[in-house]
Amino acid sequence: MIQFEAVKKTYVSGKQQVHALNGIDLTVETGEIYGVIGFSGAGKSSLIRTVNLLERPSTGRVLIHGEDISTLSARKIRDTRKDIGMIFQHFNLLNSKTVHHNIAMPLLLAKTPKAEIDRKVSELLEFVGLADQAKKYPDQLSGGQKQRIGIARALATNPSILLCDEATSALDPQTTQSILDLLRRINKEYNITILLITHEMGVIREICDKVAVLEEGRVIEQGSVFEVFTNPQHATTKRFVRSVMNDELPDSLLEQIRQNDGTRPIYRVQFTGDSVGQPFMSRVSREFQLDLNVLFGNITELQGIPYGNLIVEFDGAHSEIDLALASIRKDNIQIEEVQQYAG
Amino acid sequence: MQVDQSQILEALWETLYMTGASFVFSLFIGLPLGILLVVTRKGHLLENEAVFNVLNIVINIFRSVPFIILMVAIIPLTRIIVGTSIGTAAAIVPLVFYAGPYIARLIENSLLEVDKGVIEAAQAMGASPGQIIFRFLIPEALSSLVLALTIAIVGLIGASAMAGAIGGGGLGDLAITYGYQRFDTLVMLLTVAILVVLVQGVQSVGNLMSRRVRRS
Repeated sequence: MIQFEAVKKTYVSGKQQVHALNGIDLTVETGEIYGVIGFSGAGKSSLIRTVNLLERPSTGRVLIHGEDISTLSARKIRDTRKDIGMIFQHFNLLNSKTVHHNIAMPLLLAKTPKAEIDRKVSELLEFVGLADQAKKYPDQLSGGQKQRIGIARALATNPSILLCDEATSALDPQTTQSILDLLRRINKEYNITILLITHEMGVIREICDKVAVLEEGRVIEQGSVFEVFTNPQHATTKRFVRSVMNDELPDSLLEQIRQNDGTRPIYRVQFTGDSVGQPFMSRVSREFQLDLNVLFGNITELQGIPYGNLIVEFDGAHSEIDLALASIRKDNIQIEEVQQYAG
Repeated sequence: MQVDQSQILEALWETLYMTGASFVFSLFIGLPLGILLVVTRKGHLLENEAVFNVLNIVINIFRSVPFIILMVAIIPLTRIIVGTSIGTAAAIVPLVFYAGPYIARLIENSLLEVDKGVIEAAQAMGASPGQIIFRFLIPEALSSLVLALTIAIVGLIGASAMAGAIGGGGLGDLAITYGYQRFDTLVMLLTVAILVVLVQGVQSVGNLMSRRVRRS
């Protein structure tokens, strides 16, 4: 478990003070995959580095399994770091050493016996799918392969926490997918808690359980990925969500909504989980004598839960439409008129 | 030609001896200083402004004195260390004072080329400062370090030729006493030719070794 308590980080350069972190409170539960997203300069990088004290918080505490490691001796801090693996955007492998040696490095530092190292390295190479590459050097590998080596190295000391610093940002979409699959496997098979930072909402949607949105060193929104994606509150969060959810209305439709005179109101309908399976449209159409015209929509899956989003034009008596809305809302389906939403 | 083969061989030996011995001593001084210059700088492993500033200034002072002047200036010190201020062994002292700080700078340069991310990764996996220096920084910089030290050796061969001025012997001494002062052009050409071959050889070996250690 990782707990951030009122963590602030201020850099002083000359007379200028830069507040990278402005009071962060977050809890990452054991076994979770927690994603922190933000634009560059939001403080993500500082935040993840306070966990293993690559950066010391200026004020506030970071607790690892309940312990504030910043109070420990240098030696104890190094021991704790062995329990926290870390992977990086640019992999940070030793180019002068073989793949085998790179993965063995954390074990060499801990003076592990050679036989034990060889056994562990083979096991890890097998796990990340690079069993035949042990004798190669990093510059002979692709980006995705290098990240797999980075992951294997990070797992060598059997950590309970894995920190991912923009781990897929230097990779193409396909490779990103395979690395994310690997991270998910690590989380499931070894029950390793993962804290990742990224600027790609796709990464959050793909593997995270929870998400925090960071802006100017503050958490502006946090919650389960499902909650945040289906009901983003803050403008920045909405921008991130739109970047992957593809629920932005096409221009032609926006024009149509703008010219709508109100005789046939347009609604946005959001339904999730159980409500997806319901034939609500044909039901209200029948019950309330309405014609429903779907203008736009998509149904996708988030965290294994189906999630739909439709833009529907209602045509019929206004009194009937009001009754229909009430009936739809009773079924746990969110519905709201689009004028207020489109802007 | 006013010199015979044995004199040339002796001079060659003296040059090799001065260069070799002063290189070894200079490395002993320059390597730790070079490492300190890197790790004590701002934001690095063992940040220490006082140590960095003192080293930085002292090294600059030594680097700014021309070798020919340095040689004369530290004669009293040479006397204390070697017991005499004349001869090949005496020449090694100023050579070390000349090359030590030079090597420190060269090593500093090579080590600074190592990707900061590698150091960060080392810290993240719980490496101690000593482990980071010897298991990450130096191995990653080794290829570049070898080339830097090759430059130092070539510089030392050149500087050792000046040691003739304090009776240090060596090829430079031979070239000056016979080639220049006694107008023996042949000796002059011969010593220059030997020095050229020597430098070419050192550089080739350095290049080869640098490639060899790129992957270890």
